[in-house]
Formats: sequence, C-alpha cells, structure tokens
Amino acid sequence: MHTPRANWAIFILYSFTVLVIFVVALISPALRQTFYAPLRDWILPKPKPIEISVLYSTEKEAWLNEVIADFEKSDARVNGRPVQVTLEKMGSREIYLSVLDGTRKPDVISPASSLQIAILQDQSAGKFPVPVVNLADRQSCRSIVTTPLVVVAWQERADVLWGGNPNSHMWTRLQEAVLNPQGWNSYGHPEWGYLKFGHTDPLKSNSGFMTILLMTYNYIGKTSGLTSADILSDTAYQQWFLDFESTITQFEQSTGPLMQKMVAYGPSTFDMVAVYEATAIEQAENAVGRYGELRVYYPPATVWSDHPFCVLNADWVTPEKAEASNLFIDYLSSKPVQEIALMKYGFRPVDPSVVLTQPGSPFERYTANGFQADLSGLPTVEVPSGNVLNTLLEFWSRNVQR
Amino acid sequence: MKRLQVTLAVMMTFSLLISACQGGISLGKKITVSIVYGSEKQAWLEPLVAEYNAANHKTAEGSTIVVEATPMGSIESVDAIIGGTMQPTVWSPASSVYVPVANAEWRKTHSDDLVADNPKDLVLSPVVIAMWEPMARALGWPDKQLGWADIAGLAVSDEGWAAYGYPEWGVFKFGHTHPGYSNSGIVSIIAEAYAGAGKQRGLTLDDLNDPKVSQFMVAVESSIIHYGVSTGFFADRMFERGPSYLSAAVMYENLVVAQESKRIEGTSQQLPVAAIYPKEGTFWSNHPYAILNAPWVTAEHKAAAQDFEAFLLDKPQQLKAIELGFRPADPSIPLTSPLDPQHGVDPAQPKTVLEIPPAEVISAIEALWKQVKKPVDLVLVVDTSGSMAGSKITAARSSLMQFISLLDDRDRIEIITFNSDLLTLTDLSPVSEKRQDAITRVSGIIESGNTRLYDATLLAYQELQDKADPKHIRSIVILSDGQDTASEKTLNDVLAVIGTGNLEGGNAIKMFTIAFGDDADKDILKQIAEATGGKQYDSTPENINKIYSEIATFF
Repeated sequence: MHTPRANWAIFILYSFTVLVIFVVALISPALRQTFYAPLRDWILPKPKPIEISVLYSTEKEAWLNEVIADFEKSDARVNGRPVQVTLEKMGSREIYLSVLDGTRKPDVISPASSLQIAILQDQSAGKFPVPVVNLADRQSCRSIVTTPLVVVAWQERADVLWGGNPNSHMWTRLQEAVLNPQGWNSYGHPEWGYLKFGHTDPLKSNSGFMTILLMTYNYIGKTSGLTSADILSDTAYQQWFLDFESTITQFEQSTGPLMQKMVAYGPSTFDMVAVYEATAIEQAENAVGRYGELRVYYPPATVWSDHPFCVLNADWVTPEKAEASNLFIDYLSSKPVQEIALMKYGFRPVDPSVVLTQPGSPFERYTANGFQADLSGLPTVEVPSGNVLNTLLEFWSRNVQR
Repeated sequence: MKRLQVTLAVMMTFSLLISACQGGISLGKKITVSIVYGSEKQAWLEPLVAEYNAANHKTAEGSTIVVEATPMGSIESVDAIIGGTMQPTVWSPASSVYVPVANAEWRKTHSDDLVADNPKDLVLSPVVIAMWEPMARALGWPDKQLGWADIAGLAVSDEGWAAYGYPEWGVFKFGHTHPGYSNSGIVSIIAEAYAGAGKQRGLTLDDLNDPKVSQFMVAVESSIIHYGVSTGFFADRMFERGPSYLSAAVMYENLVVAQESKRIEGTSQQLPVAAIYPKEGTFWSNHPYAILNAPWVTAEHKAAAQDFEAFLLDKPQQLKAIELGFRPADPSIPLTSPLDPQHGVDPAQPKTVLEIPPAEVISAIEALWKQVKKPVDLVLVVDTSGSMAGSKITAARSSLMQFISLLDDRDRIEIITFNSDLLTLTDLSPVSEKRQDAITRVSGIIESGNTRLYDATLLAYQELQDKADPKHIRSIVILSDGQDTASEKTLNDVLAVIGTGNLEGGNAIKMFTIAFGDDADKDILKQIAEATGGKQYDSTPENINKIYSEIATFF
C-alpha cells in the first residue's frame, strides 16, 4: 500500500507528463501525426478515398504489381483524401476498344505504345464530345518506360543468314529467306529445315502490330509518312506482305509467351522472333546453356513501345481523380520506381538520371548478347495517324488472321 | 453436479460443430475439375493430382477444388467430347496437332471454338523414333542423320536387317499407335505424308492425291506389327519384349528417357535405346492444358482449373517433370540430367519441325491412312457354352456386331463359335464382301453345351497359319466365360503351338483374350495372350463393348 503522500506525488507526475505530451504534440508536426492522427481517425469518420482505375497492358504486370504497395504506403492524398488505385491488366487493343464501346470507364489507360493512343484519338472523335486522349498534351499523356522492338535469333543461325548484323534490308532479306523453297538448304544447312520466323497476333498484341508496321515501312522504303493508300493500293507490297505472313502458322496472343516458346522449344520451332527488348532481357538468363546463344538484333529502323499513361479526358474523370491519377503517374516516374523497371524488368526509364549501364543492369550484363544501351543512332519510324494504323490492322485481319 | 456435466457436454458439442463449420470440413461446397489427358504424362500427373487435392485449394467463392484426372488417348477423348459422351473441364492432349481438327468438328454444331485462345503448355517432349541402339548404329547413327525416308526404305526391303549385315534381326518391325485414338499415331501419319510428298511445310490436299504419297505410306505401314491405343502401351511392349518384337516405334522422348533410366538402374535388362530425331523434322508433344470453351464449363470451373494449372506450372512440379524425362515448359529450368546422351536422348535436338497442316488436310490424311494401313486377318472366337445364357450372350452379340462394324473393308475375318462343338460361322474373307452377313450371323448365335476353349484356340491358329496373308496383321480375339471342360487338347498343346510364333517376333499371330464374367479362367487366358504379345482383358456384360473397341485399336 502506498501512503497518501506517495499517491499524491504519482498523480502530479502523471498529470505533468500528460500535459507535456499534449503541448509537444501541438507544437511538433511529427508527433502530432503520431498522436493526433490516430486519435482523429478514431473519433472522426475516415475521409472517403479517391478511387482511380487503371487499365494497363500485360507487359507491365510484374513491375506494377511490385511497386503498387509502396505507392499505397506513401499515403498520397488529394484534398486530404487518400488515393486508392485499382490496377487491371488487359491487351493493348482491348483497352482502347473497351473505352470506345463504352464497356469500361477507366480514369487512366496505359497500352503498350502510342499506336493504340493514336487509334483511340482518331476513333473517339465521333463518339465523345472531345477526344478522350491527346498525345500532344504531355501533361495528360506521358510515356513512363520504353522498350524498342527487336528481333531475337539463335546466333548460330543469324550468323549464317546475316553474317554479322543485318543491314538496312533486314525485313526484305528475312522475307526472302522464310519463303526460300530450299529453306536453310540454300545456306548449307539442310538439317535446319525452313527458316521459321514468328511474331504475335497484331490484333491481340502490340508487338505484333509494331512488327507489321516496321515490315511495311521497310518494304515501302520510308520511315515516315505512311498512308492508307500505301497499304491498300500497292499490290506488290500486298503480295510481299501476305507471302511473308503465310509462313507463320500460329500467332501467339502475347509477347511474353512467344519469347518463352522461343527459349523452351529452341531453334527447331523458331529461328527468330520479333519481341520487345525488355521481353528478350527477361529470358536472356534462361536461354543460357540450352540451345546455343541467343542474340538480339535491332532492325534498321525501330518503333518504341513507350508505355504511355494517359489520364482520360472524359466526364467521369473528375478534377480530383485527374489530380490523383497524376500523383500515381508521378510516383511511377520517380527515380526508385524507374530503377526497379530497369534493373528487374529490362525497361528503359524515362528519367534520364537513371544510368542504363550501371553495374548489375541488364545493359551491362548482356552486352555479349547484342543488347545496346545507346540507341541514339537508331532511326525511329514515325507513328502514323490512327486512321492509317487502323487500315493496316484491318488489312491484316481480313487477309491473314487465322 | 450432473447438470454441470450435461451443460459442459452441450457446450463442447456446440463448439466442435462451430469449428467444423469454420474449417469447412465436409460441410463446405466442392467444385470438381475433371481433366482428360494424354496417358503419356500419367506418371507425372497422377501423384500431383493427389498432392493438390490433399492441400484443399479453394476458389474465390469458397468451394474446395477437387481434381479428377483420367488418362485417355488424345484423339479418342476429344471425339468423345465432340460426340457428347464426355463433358470434362479440361482437355490436355499429348499435343496441339489435333486442336484445329477438334475446333473444326466442334464448329459444325457450335458458334465458337472448343479450344479458344492458345492454351499453355504443361511439359514438352519431342516426337522421336525410338530404336534399339545397335540397330540405329547399323543404319549409321549417330554420324548419319536418320529420318522417315530411312524407315520407309527399311520397311519395303525384303532383306530387312540382313541388308545391313544383321540377318539375325530378321525383317524390320515398326510400330505406331492408331491415329484414330492416339496423338502419336496421328503425328506419325502426318509425318509419313510429308515425307512421301517430299515436303516439310505447306502440305495440301493436292499433295495427298499424288500416288507417290500413298505409295510411301503403304511402304512404311507394311512394316507395322500392329497399331494400338496408347503410346505408353507401345513403349511398354517394345521395352518388355525386346528387339525381336519391335525394331523401332514412334513415341516421345520422355519414354526413351524413362526406359534408359530403368536400364541404368538395372531394373531393365534390355539393350540400350536411342531417340532418333527425324531429319526431315518432327512435332512437339507439348501437352497443352485446354480449359474448354464449352457450355458446361462455368466461370468458377474455369477459375478452379486455372488454379490447378498454376500449381502444375510451378517450379517444384516442373522439376519433377524433368526427372521423368520431360522438358519443362518453364524456360527458367535448365535441361539437365536425365536429358542427356547417357539416357539415349540429345537435348540439342530437334533441329527443325514439320508445320502443323490445316484441319482439312489432317482429316484427309486420316482418310488416306485408312486406305493404306496394314489390313488385319482376324479370327473371332466366341464361347457359346450353356453358361453364357442371359445377359452375357446378349452383350456378347451386340458388342461383336459393333466390333465388326469398326473393321475396314480390306480387313478379313473368320468367326468361330465353340461349345461342345466347333462351328465356323464364316470363313476368312474380306469384310467388304460380308459385313452385313457376318453381323446377321452373330446376331443369331445361341448358347448351349460345354466349353472347348483349347480346341477352338488351336483351330483358329491353324486357320490363320494356313490361310492368312503374312503381309497382314494376323490376330485372334477369343471371348470365353468359363474353364475348358471338353477339349481333346490341353493348355500345354496350345502353348507349344503358339510358342513357335516367337521366331516371327512382333509379326507372330497375336491373341487377345477376353475373360468374360467371374467364372472365366483369367490366368489361362492371360498365359495364352501374353505368349503371343497380345493382351488379356477382364470383362463383364456391362463393359464388353469397350473392351472390343480397345482391341479394335490394334488393327
């Protein structure tokens, strides 16, 4: 039992401590956060979160799933309301089709490339009061990571075909080779059968779409200014293109599985495939010690899978949601998140301060496989208007689709 | 005090009930994922199904997922699905080769594909020609690349192995499964058609009309010892019975690895086997996991099936596949032992593949094969003793009638019934001349008297010895429901006579015996069948139809 005097002393000490904590908490923001916020949350109703929905293309799945948790932890808020992101993966074409036909009303879309944004911009014109996307507005539509289209080949076979690196006629040479009735026999290797090239289904996968665009530009001999007339009126091109495509019996629906098949089945099934550089990086390690060396080849002119994140210019995207969306996109552009995209997933960050060739990066580890960090000398073809792109897809869909 | 005890007991019962409900034990919902799969992956899949079921996986709706997996010939199973007799959630054939045909057939009555999207591969294994290594070496392997054309050359040669300095090996004996039932059968005949046309891609219907294609196929098929329902069965037969039975057979690389593992461990005493990757190209057995796009597959079924798929594609399960000789579908797993030359295989092969032809070309190849396949000279021996009375004789009649309808026009049959007497219902002659007549005669058989099994067996054997064409498959199918009670000859007499066929190895007269009902002498029927390289079946009036159908796959 304490004496009454001791009880009195304990009471004073206790009251004093509480008073000190209260005063410090009022003065120090950090402590206020610690003590006051839980109290407030406990007493007051929680602010309703701002929910934003993001439809994104499958290539970014692993990266986004890895970094989303840290965004949630960062407690980003707009007008005091926390931001909650719902991510949903989808094929790039499906993304814009679902917006166009009204079945989905996302706040942000991120297909694999600007090709889909161009089509959406073009086709939404008649359906919405204002275009739902605008690539020219860098604030609402930003590329976050990039990766170019490459051709991945078994080096032993590519060496026989190209004797080093392919020249500016890569696609036309490849077309001749896949159609050669003697196959690899013409190159002194009857045991390799026919040259088998693969790309994904352009209607389902952006890399297939980019491949047929590059093939078309290369044959027509341009790197910009592709028109619908080039596609629809040039019968020599059509013949050339359809012959090329006739050698592909099955189009994979997605780039990742195509590259996995390349590695799992080996050169018996695909001598070469057109995929993203990042997809090739993902499998570079797996290919070691399997069927020989895999090597990447950059086409004479490429097109970039630039992963635009676009906040839709639509009535369901309130100013608050737009602001919340931008917070999320800012987070994805932040250096640590960009570094993860590079180091673990082989994407090229848009943040120029992230060094591509830093130790441990894929561009440092796989130089022997032909990966090049510096592509400043590589020409890029112009992304045609949505109308022209759609003509190309339609042409493929009518004449090739299986 | 007593009251307290009662209260406690009631409380305990209550809490037990509550915990049982929470745990979902036995009271929870279940969802069944039924899978029909190519039997080649049975050794891999069966233990994994048990492991998965034991772990009580659940769907988002809270149902416990129960996987029921049934091995079945890849072509046979999809025919059953399209025919409406089977409604599985997942079809996992040995390869994707037949998918276009399955979709084309399905679309005749549906607006969509049965196998939509590209299913994921579970495991991989190239289609190879498995040949006894000394024989492969005699042909110049491994320095010389061998192919389908070499097989055709050997098959048509009257000299057989003597042409290569090995007369003791006799003629070239080849095997592939029945294309109407099994994936390796269908890929064998597609490869034959390609080789006959001298192509590796772009095979057309016009190519198939070129006589050189059918001539090539006739040549290869002439060396077939018999067909069969599953590739695994073929491999077992070859590796049990040795080089005198079969020189080479079309199978999968993993089956060669499995056999070589046994040989290295000392559990098989056979010669080594080599996997030959045909130089013209081959096909992959890629074991696609097709969640069917069919009305009976609900969204929850699909989700449950995907959960099992993810389990199978997970690393530990993929690593188990390597041990069994498969190449994993997961490219992050290196191709290590036993995928090596010590186990008869070359992981750097194959160098090229044949293009999968369009559905209509595959169907036309199947039709062409029916015209060029090796015909069978067959004696059907049927027990009509008194004990067959009732449902047995009724079931025997109808299944025999069905069996006769499955035979091809060029096949020849003879039908012998036995009780106290031996009666030849119809002599050996082509089915085309008498299909309906034979069916009518079978429909009229009646039971009475004793069982002269041995005498009937010997008579059938003698008939084939005397009348059959040695270039045909020669076979006897015996159905008996009881012990021999009245024969003049003994079992030893029978075994002595059929034993002389051993000199012909796989080309000997083969007997398939059906022990019908519980009183049949299974042991004796087994001895008779196995002495010839045939097979013994246990049967009842309920499943006799199925047994006859399986026997039909050998021809």
